Amino acid sequence: MESTTPNPTSTAAAELLTGANAKLLLDSVDAFLFDCDGVIWKGDKLIDGIPETLEMLRSKGKKLVFVTNNSTKSRIQYANKFRTLGLSVSQDEIFSSSFAAAMYLKVNQFPPQKKVYVIGGEGIVQELQLAGFTALGGPEDVEKRAQWKSNCLFEHDKDVGAVVVGLDPDINYYKLQYGTLCIRENPGCLFIATNRDSVGHMTDLQEWPGAGCMVGAICGSTEREPVVVGKPSTFMMEFLLQKFNLSTSRMCMVGDRLDTDILFGQNAGCKTLLVLSGVTTRSILDDPSNKIQPDYYTNKVSDILGLLGE
Amino acid sequence: MEGFTTTTTKASAQPLENADVLIASVETFIFDCDGVIWKGDKLIDGVPETLDMLRSKGKRLVFVTNNSTKSRKQYGKKFETLGLSVSEEEIFASSFAAAAYLKSINFPKDKKVYVIGEDGILKELELAGFQYLGGPEDGEKKIELKPGFLMEHDKDVGAVVVGFDRYFNYYKVQYGTLCIRENPGCLFIATNRDAVTHLTDAQEWAGGGSMVGAICGSTQREPHVVGKPSTFMMDYLAVKFGILKSQICMVGDRLDTDILFGQNGGCKTLLVLSGVTTLSMLQSPNNSIQPDFYTNKISDFLASKAATV
Repeated sequence: MESTTPNPTSTAAAELLTGANAKLLLDSVDAFLFDCDGVIWKGDKLIDGIPETLEMLRSKGKKLVFVTNNSTKSRIQYANKFRTLGLSVSQDEIFSSSFAAAMYLKVNQFPPQKKVYVIGGEGIVQELQLAGFTALGGPEDVEKRAQWKSNCLFEHDKDVGAVVVGLDPDINYYKLQYGTLCIRENPGCLFIATNRDSVGHMTDLQEWPGAGCMVGAICGSTEREPVVVGKPSTFMMEFLLQKFNLSTSRMCMVGDRLDTDILFGQNAGCKTLLVLSGVTTRSILDDPSNKIQPDYYTNKVSDILGLLGE
Repeated sequence: MEGFTTTTTKASAQPLENADVLIASVETFIFDCDGVIWKGDKLIDGVPETLDMLRSKGKRLVFVTNNSTKSRKQYGKKFETLGLSVSEEEIFASSFAAAAYLKSINFPKDKKVYVIGEDGILKELELAGFQYLGGPEDGEKKIELKPGFLMEHDKDVGAVVVGFDRYFNYYKVQYGTLCIRENPGCLFIATNRDAVTHLTDAQEWAGGGSMVGAICGSTQREPHVVGKPSTFMMDYLAVKFGILKSQICMVGDRLDTDILFGQNGGCKTLLVLSGVTTLSMLQSPNNSIQPDFYTNKISDFLASKAATV
């Protein structure tokens, strides 16, 4: 049965995933897009039932793609994380916002003689280098401190043509100042955000401030808004559609966050499944102030396996 | 002579030609500090004589700064070091404003305040009798995002005060975020939201707006702002000194804080070009904030005096 026309602003209430609609969903979809934090793992702990569920989906010929806003790792590093957790996922199946930032610069013909200042982790730096760009900052600037003496000038590289801001647990004033000066004083300097998630499950036990925090800090000091390359922006979707020759109406986005994952899926015309194993609870979903309703919701990804009686 | 308009007027700012008329028409001058009185640690030319002249004419002088790094007492010392005689009671920093705000809403003394900011805020909270946590010492705290690690936070924190913080780090962001998101009714107070500030006279530095922006990003909440351009400090000192706002002239170097503060408060406004704003910024079509008057620096008040003698 043809599913309802995807409507990005649909407020029809999400349906609980059942044996019946899970089967329908599986039959109507060729590819599953999975968010990672709160869906596949929480911090460094795999969520129950993931390996078996992913295997089942693969055995049914479904394409699996992993789309994460967490920019701290590169695709290669994510592939390693999957491997460490006992899952076989290749680099080509992973789209991290770190990769998206580098691709955005490539697609927009960022001149290779210009430099990129990074407020974020190793993942962004690696992806920029892989794409042939010169990255400054990142983990190198973790220990740097600013000086405040009358005759002391805080220097910044005038060749920086873009500042990329992502999740940075090592955020400090030095980096804020460096990025601020580049954006305010280098003519035409771009301000790119990997994503703007407010919080996320960086560890299994609790939520931690996300890139939305670091991006908010730079918005505050520059009075500028960034280009966002991660969810819910459709940039990564356009990229993976080109790569995989899929139709969005035959895709299901599975995520734990309404304003990034689900909105991302809806914006592109995919089916959407919210899992409650991450940042969103049932009461947040049902709250009258919430305007984003996924097609379906369930507790965790492995419910798909359970409901199909596999 | 008459004809000053104090509402948010779109008429262009006038160059200050007749300072004596302005001086005669007001009872109180409110001065911003950075870019008006000093730049970094250097006094701007002619400031001591100008302040003396105004005092000799019986004018009340008040100093209102968004810079929350010092307490009023510490600012009093800075003025003294620069050779100016200004008493603590004449100084209103946004650090003081945060404490005064909490007092004005009867913030319970058994609740605590978490501070993402510097010493000035801590000192003012202490003086006002509030219990605080955080501040510069949390700048040394590190976190490790590994399995089983949980950051605890004090459930008695009833307000998070965020201001300019050179010791800003992820620990503080998480602590403040947990308090705001999880402690019922927890307040989110910003001393100010200045994008950049002149910490040294040579260049701009990322300001309090940066730290506040960070917490807005992680909590998805907007703060209550106590510093300029919010009129909290204006209302406070109008009551404290029993002065009418129409009898006040606000003198500052920044349009979106100082001048807007004066306009919002219903005062006369004078922009000085000795700080962050240039004449071309004032006259740019992108600028919609027009002070009543503008001049190079406050010692221009003396030039008029010389002319009329």
